[in-house]
Amino acid sequence: MTRSIEHRPTKMWHRTSLLHHRRIWLIMTSIALFALLLILFGYFNNVAWGTLVTAVLHTTYRLIIAYLIALVLGILIGLLVGSSSLIDALFPVFDILQNIPSFALIPFFIYFFGYTDQMIILFAVSSIVWPILFSILSAIKSAHSDLNDAAAIFGARGLKRIFFYLAPLSFPAILTGSIVGIAIGWEAVIGAEIIVNAAGFGSFIRNASTTGIDQASVAGMLVILLIVFVINRLIWTPLLLESSRRYAE
Amino acid sequence: MPQDNSSVSFVLSRVNADFISGGKAIPALRDISLSVPSGAFISVVGPSGAGKSTLLRIILDLMPHTSGTIVRSFTQPAMVFQNYAIFPWLTALDNVAFGLHMQGIPRKERERIARAKLQEVGLEHLERHYPAALSGGQRQRVGLARALTMSPDLLILDEPFSNLDTITAEALKADLLKIWRSYGMTIFMVNHLIPDAIELSDSILIMGAHPGHITKTLQIDLPRPRNPHGDQFFKKVDELTNIIREIS
Repeated sequence: MTRSIEHRPTKMWHRTSLLHHRRIWLIMTSIALFALLLILFGYFNNVAWGTLVTAVLHTTYRLIIAYLIALVLGILIGLLVGSSSLIDALFPVFDILQNIPSFALIPFFIYFFGYTDQMIILFAVSSIVWPILFSILSAIKSAHSDLNDAAAIFGARGLKRIFFYLAPLSFPAILTGSIVGIAIGWEAVIGAEIIVNAAGFGSFIRNASTTGIDQASVAGMLVILLIVFVINRLIWTPLLLESSRRYAE
Repeated sequence: MPQDNSSVSFVLSRVNADFISGGKAIPALRDISLSVPSGAFISVVGPSGAGKSTLLRIILDLMPHTSGTIVRSFTQPAMVFQNYAIFPWLTALDNVAFGLHMQGIPRKERERIARAKLQEVGLEHLERHYPAALSGGQRQRVGLARALTMSPDLLILDEPFSNLDTITAEALKADLLKIWRSYGMTIFMVNHLIPDAIELSDSILIMGAHPGHITKTLQIDLPRPRNPHGDQFFKKVDELTNIIREIS
């Protein structure tokens, strides 16, 4: 009797994901152990934990709002441009625009919005939106022309083409664009907070470093690391798994 | 089985088409004239660069032609692709129901029809699977079922068998003949395999390249069902092989 070898396309991914998993847990555990040691030796005795947590929550809140705005904006622009014939003309324009160093724009944001929350959030939006927009546009540009034809022949034209063809086609790109965008977003929000000295993690580090309490900066980094880790495990990993299950070739 | 001339599926008359590449127009099709009767099975053979896929896209109005006249009398076209072109984010059932979904048919009704078509191509047990979990042959069957749910009066196939192994291709070919007989739609197929083209077609268009043009039209008037081992059959294979050898 012959037996066929079971080969499911998801298996390889599953294995790499487990490996990934194990490595991340290892890193996280060693960081946690190190932090525990520091606490035992009284390293963090001078840290004002209450202030720190409030500051990090401020920053996280700004980042989440900025990400959501950038996500909507990126998807809207990406799908509208991607569905039109302008995509080839606008792609290089976007490429130049995104290459403007975002911090060079901060004077404009301050000029228009002052030293406010809105300023920081909108500034972060201007950084986060690019990776999302670009991954959507590249996904649409690189879609196989047969898939485009199939969508058209089977009736996905106009708005239906956007909703039932371009949007699901772009889903993996929106995911990867979001992950990159949020990484840039942390930088943008914290950087802006340092520059305008708004309540948040940025100003916390700024004050901590001027008063010479390095422990506060270390504690702050540990808290941010924890937040990034939790967001990754709870949101991005399940979405990436789902995306790879559906979109695998 | 050539139909009466009063009913045609589509007619092309002196059609030219260009590719636009880097702002330059490269001629893709020159002086294409052909008339396809309703219910006929037409095959197109020719080397790569003969504009076969361009011809299909022009017939379906997916790209513009530069001059000439096209009369489309078909009402509902559907297409099957060489690399399947089924949507990876939809299950087999949702892929098959896609066209009906776009027509605004309610979920229950479109799933009932799609399920029946999946059964027709022998995949009813895989309706919840995503394309990634299907083999090439299964994906092509999903592509065929997706086309059939449209109740097309013109079915266009672009090298539907060339990515499949011989055994799978043979099975699919038999299914295609069965479908053609029971639905009676017009079939217009690009195909590379000469014996297949002769076994299936009423007539065969032979195209030449640079730019794409129709070199010759070969009528196949062998009685159906055709015996691919008969003398008459081999004679036709020889005839077609010689024509192709001359042009290449």
